[in-house]
Amino acid sequence: MKVQYKPKRNLLETIFQVEILQGMALTLRKLFSPAITRQYPQEKPPMYPGFRGQHALVRDSLTNESKCVACMRCATVCPSRCIKISYHEDESHKRFVDSYTIEALRCVFCGFCVEVCPVGAITMTEVFEYATYNRDTTYFDKDLLLENWDRFMAGSGHDKTYVNPFWRPRGIPESSLPAQRRMNVPDDWTVEKQFVGKKATSSQQCLTATTAGGSH
Amino acid sequence: MVNQLLFLYCAGVITAMGLLAVNFKNPVYSVLSVMVLFFHVAGLYLLLNAEFLAAIQIIVYAGAILVLYLFVLFLVSLRKEVKIERFIASHKISTLVSLALGGCLLAVIPSFKLGAKGQYPVARVEQLTHTKAMGLELYSNYILPFEIAGLILLIAVIGGLVLARNEKEVKE
Amino acid sequence: MQILTIVLQIAILLAIVLLHVAYATYFERKIIGHMQVRLGPMMVGYHGLLQPIADGIKSFFKEDIVPEQADRPLFLFAPVICLVTMLTSLAVIPFAKGWVLADINIGLLFIFAMSSLASYGVILAGWASNSKYTFLGGLRSMAQVISYELPLGLSLVGVMMLSGSLNLTTIVDSQGSSFSSMYLFPQLIGFFVFFVAMLAETNRVPFDLPEAETELVSGYITEYSGMRYALFFMAEYIGMMVMSSIGTICFLGGWNGPFEVPFFPPFWFILKVYGFLFLFIWIRATLPRYRYDQLMALGWKLLLPLALLNIFLTGLFKILVH
Repeated sequence: MKVQYKPKRNLLETIFQVEILQGMALTLRKLFSPAITRQYPQEKPPMYPGFRGQHALVRDSLTNESKCVACMRCATVCPSRCIKISYHEDESHKRFVDSYTIEALRCVFCGFCVEVCPVGAITMTEVFEYATYNRDTTYFDKDLLLENWDRFMAGSGHDKTYVNPFWRPRGIPESSLPAQRRMNVPDDWTVEKQFVGKKATSSQQCLTATTAGGSH
Repeated sequence: MVNQLLFLYCAGVITAMGLLAVNFKNPVYSVLSVMVLFFHVAGLYLLLNAEFLAAIQIIVYAGAILVLYLFVLFLVSLRKEVKIERFIASHKISTLVSLALGGCLLAVIPSFKLGAKGQYPVARVEQLTHTKAMGLELYSNYILPFEIAGLILLIAVIGGLVLARNEKEVKE
Repeated sequence: MQILTIVLQIAILLAIVLLHVAYATYFERKIIGHMQVRLGPMMVGYHGLLQPIADGIKSFFKEDIVPEQADRPLFLFAPVICLVTMLTSLAVIPFAKGWVLADINIGLLFIFAMSSLASYGVILAGWASNSKYTFLGGLRSMAQVISYELPLGLSLVGVMMLSGSLNLTTIVDSQGSSFSSMYLFPQLIGFFVFFVAMLAETNRVPFDLPEAETELVSGYITEYSGMRYALFFMAEYIGMMVMSSIGTICFLGGWNGPFEVPFFPPFWFILKVYGFLFLFIWIRATLPRYRYDQLMALGWKLLLPLALLNIFLTGLFKILVH
């Protein structure tokens, strides 16, 4: 490992304090360059896909109710145990959700509940400005969560069948995803586009390359 | 007339501050009353047309020497005056002796005679500015006492450095 | 009648200087912000221009806390000493020919006297607060100020020798009105020493250890709140302006400039003082802080010999040439 030391100052540089003057030239240059501050209330930060904001239960476009089947996967996977679901079963073992609550103040916003839901019932919207002065309004129950979805959909301009394409677990083949999560098949579909996620596609290409290239 | 009034004011405050300085229990207050005293001494110098001395009085005495007094007080961290045993047990004897000494001091005042006038009357000092007059006089007629005073101060500085030096100096 | 005009002049001067102090804080925050590629205050008023007024109102209404074990008279008196001495030194500064409140023959010495008294406010504030770190901050600040007073004074002795007087108006007049006759050029070493000592006297970066926000929890002013804190800050900024004015008068030619501005003679003076203030702010945005022992070593071992060398060379020059 080669260590690069700065050359020692000679006498002239010490007398004229060249390093201090170089530092001052830098600050002067930066004085005239544009500032990078974002003026928050007027300019909002850009939202990228997959932003984990306020929770919402997706409203099914056909039945106008939530899609949740009370499989309890989100409640089980939540690391901070903030999702509480209670359900009852009828004679044909179909489950009905009695109450679905999310304690938003406990949530660490990891997004596991969204990734693990098989039917795409819960999602995380891009809303982050919902701070309040009392705690009660952060304890979301089912109606509030559906309302969150309505509010988000009203402001975003998507249509009723919108599924956020970001929330799909990576590295899983498309065929094993539930129907609600699979993307619409475009006309120029090829087998290489089967897998989800960039890393899976690059590793897939790597595999095909090494097997085609033979031994090195 | 205004000069007389100002002189009376300065002298009165000087005496009062002197008395206060020895009577305060809190030593920091004593030092501060001495600072006010020095201010009024500078005022007396101004009344005598000696503006350079007035400024030097404030810079050196009030600004540096008293600060060193304050430093000593702070480093010893003295919040109240230290009470020690009296040397002489009876009050009456000590009062009598101090009054007698005070009387002697007051009795000597009428015998005070002004010295011979120098070669710088007030008009010449005002024309030359006091700084220049003082400089001319100090560096021509009184150069030897000036150098001796400087040497004494140098010895004091060296003494201070020697006393304050770290005793556990490295031997190699 | 004359007293009335003097009182009026004093009132105008005070108003202008206090306004400058308030907006000096604003410009410092803006300029340091832009040097750090961010915006300064932007919310209050257009681009934050009303920020100093908001700060003033805030200081006014904050609760005035006096610690229980503190020495009450000294605690209340310390900011007053700082402010009064700094304001008094404004009286002898000439802003233009004839625009001076008190044209005394020892103008420069008067400013020294006042700046050495201002350090009393600091040490009394440190002592009266009755708290460990405050006291340490006060002691350090006092030691720093009296160590750097010497190079400050000695660097100006060169100027005194060249101009032959302590009167500030005479110093400016003896510099002449051309660019190359400023005392900056013959007294370059003196200017350097003066500049560094000026930074140390006003407790500015890189010598601001006594009020270092990251180390001593703002040092000797920790226990002060509300208006008294504001008084200390006013005293610091007025000190900066007074020292900049002295630097302008002694080294940069005072109110002389390339061309005459018709209705406003102090124009060049004010411009030069603004330049100095910009230098102060620029250095604050750039340099890190000196450690205490480095600071003392710099003052005694570098600046004092340099100032003495400057005096010696100036004296030599005066004897040989004249």
